[in-house]
Amino acid sequence: MKTTSIKSTSMPFTHATRAALGGNDPVSPPQGYWRFAWRHQQGANSVLFEQRAVVVNLGLFGALLVASVIYLSLGSVKVAPTTVLKALVGNADMMATFVVQELRLPRLAAACFTGAAFALAGILMQTLARNRLATPGIIGIDNGATAFAVASIVGIGVSIAPPAMALAGATTAAVLTFGLAAGSGTQGYRFIVAGIGVGAVFGAVTQLLLARVAIDTANAAYPWTVGSLNARPSGALQLLMLGLALGLTTALALARSLTLLRFKDATASGLGVNVKRRRLEVLLLSVALTGLAVAVVGPVGMVGLIGPEIARSLSSSRGVPLLAATLAGALVMVLADLAGRTLLTPIEIPVGIVTAVVGGPWLLWILMRPQRSYT
Amino acid sequence: MSHSPSTSMPLSMPSLATQSLGMSYGARLVIEGLNISLPSGQVTAIVGPNGCGKSTLLAGLARLHKPGSGAVLLNGADIQRLPTRQLATQLALLPQEAVAPEGLTVTELIRFGRQPHQGWLRQWSAEDQRVVQHALAAAGLEQLADRPIDALSGGQRQRAWIAMTIAQQTPLLLLDEPTSALDLGHQIEVFELVQHLAHHGRTVVMVLHDLASACRYADHLIAMREGQIVAEGPPATVVTQDLVRTLYQVECTLLTDPDTGSPLLANVRRSSAVS
Repeated sequence: MKTTSIKSTSMPFTHATRAALGGNDPVSPPQGYWRFAWRHQQGANSVLFEQRAVVVNLGLFGALLVASVIYLSLGSVKVAPTTVLKALVGNADMMATFVVQELRLPRLAAACFTGAAFALAGILMQTLARNRLATPGIIGIDNGATAFAVASIVGIGVSIAPPAMALAGATTAAVLTFGLAAGSGTQGYRFIVAGIGVGAVFGAVTQLLLARVAIDTANAAYPWTVGSLNARPSGALQLLMLGLALGLTTALALARSLTLLRFKDATASGLGVNVKRRRLEVLLLSVALTGLAVAVVGPVGMVGLIGPEIARSLSSSRGVPLLAATLAGALVMVLADLAGRTLLTPIEIPVGIVTAVVGGPWLLWILMRPQRSYT
Repeated sequence: MSHSPSTSMPLSMPSLATQSLGMSYGARLVIEGLNISLPSGQVTAIVGPNGCGKSTLLAGLARLHKPGSGAVLLNGADIQRLPTRQLATQLALLPQEAVAPEGLTVTELIRFGRQPHQGWLRQWSAEDQRVVQHALAAAGLEQLADRPIDALSGGQRQRAWIAMTIAQQTPLLLLDEPTSALDLGHQIEVFELVQHLAHHGRTVVMVLHDLASACRYADHLIAMREGQIVAEGPPATVVTQDLVRTLYQVECTLLTDPDTGSPLLANVRRSSAVS
C-alpha cells in the first residue's frame, strides 16, 4: 500500500507515515506527533496531534466515563452499573430510571461541568500569570463571585439571578486583584498576595451577609458558600454549559499562542503573538468560567489547582494541556462529590470541603516541592 | 509575500529606519528625535554606556514598546500599523536572556520559529520541515537536535535561540546583547553565526555592551550616549579615541587588526588616571 498522503483520492484523510517507516512521503511529522495531511485546489493542509496528548485525553475521558457510571450507581439507593446503563436509555424499571435520570444525572452533569470550568479557568490563569499558584480560587475570584451571589440570595435589595451576580463578583475581584498588583505585573508573589487579600475581604463579606439574615436563610445558603452541588440555582447549569462550550472552543482555538505565552513576552511577541490582547482574552475567559461555575456550585476553586496539576503531570512539556486539565477537573469534581455523598452516609459532605481536604495537602506539596519553572 | 517559497533563503532586502523616534519609560524620556537607517544585508551594532537607550531603541525597532513620538518604518510603513503576525514574518527578535520552558528540546524550540508561518490547517508543511532542518544545520546543531535546551552550554543555547529566529525566515534579525552571559569561546560561536547570517542576506541589528566585539564583528556601528547618536558608520572610520572617551570616559590607544583591518582597543584606562 502506498502511503503518499497527497495523491490518494479515495480517502480524504490519509495518515502520513514517517519516512523512517518506509513511507515515501517527504514530510515526516515532528517526533512524538501524528500528522494528517490532505491536498486541495489551493494547496496542502496539515494538522498535528501530539501522541501523548491523544493518549492522555482518551485515558482521562475513559476514567471520567467509568467514574460517572459509578457516580450514578452509588448512593442511598444502589443501582447496579449495568442497570445504570439501561436506566440511561430508559430500559430499566421506573425506580432505577427515576433515581438515575431525575436525581443523579443532573447532579453528575453539574459536577462534570463545574469541575471542567474551574480547571480550565485555572490553567488559563496559570498560563497568563506564568505561575502555577495563580488560580482564580487563590487570587480571590471565587470568593468575589460567591459574595456577590450570596448577596443576591439572602437579599440585600438586589434581585439579579445568581449567575449574573457571580459574574459581576468575579469581574470585580479580578479588577481589584489586577489593580492592586498593577505595576508589578502578574508574575511574582505580589500578584498572588494581592489576590489572597482580595479573596479574604470577599470571604468576610460573605460571612457578614450571612450573619445579617435570619438563621434559616443563612442555613440554606451556607452549604453553597463552602461549595455544594446540593443547592443548584435553576438556570445556572444551563448557562454554565453554554459558557463552557464557548469557553473551551475559544481556549482550544487560542492554544497555539497560549503555548507561546509560556515564553517571555518579548519572545512571544517576536513570534507573532499580540501578547496584550491575548492576555486580556485569556483573563476574560478565566473570569467568566469561574463566575459561571461558582453560580452553580459555590467556591470550589481547589479544582482549578488540582485539575491542571494532574494534567501537567501526565502531559509532555510541549504545550499547555487545556483539554487534559478540563477533563481532569471534571473527573476530580465527580470523584469528590461521589466521596462526599457516600463516605459518611446519611450525612453529606459538601464537595467544597472534600476538595479542600484533598487540595490543602496538595497545595503544601506544590509549595514545598523544588520549584520547576512553571508550565 | 513577494518571495518565492522554493528558495531556501527567500529574503528580500528590507529597509528598517526610524523617523524622529522618541521613546520613554514612564515619565523618563530615554531617546528623542532619533533618525537612523539600518544598512541592508549587514551587521549593525548599537553600542554605548549603560542606560544610553540602546536597548530601548532595539525594543522600539522590534515593536516591544510603543514610541512616544515619531515612528519606526519597515519598508516605508509604520510598524505600529502592521499586524503582529505579519511583522513576525519580517522581523525576528532574540530578547536578552531568553528562557525556554523546561524540558523543551532544541528542535522543539526551533519549530516555534515557524509559528508565524503556520495556522490551524497548516501545522506542519514540507516547507516547515525543510526550514527547521536548514536552521539546525546553519547553527551547527544537528548533533544536539534532541537535547533539552537546559542541558546545553551557554553558547549552544544561544545558537539554538538564533536557530529559532533563522527558522522564522525573516529578512531582519534583532538581537539584544546576545553574548552578555557567555565566555569568550561561546561569544565567538555566536558572533560567527551572526556574521554567517548577514553574509547570506539577512540584515542583523544587535545591541552590544562590548565595543571591542562590535568593532570586530559589525559592518556598521551606531554609538549612543544619553539617548542621542554620537557616531554612525563603519567601525574603522567612526571609532576614534575621542569617541571612546565620549562614550565611556576612558582613554585608549587604537590599533588596527592586521588580519581584519578592524580597530583594536589597547591600553584602555580611566580618563582621570591620565597625567
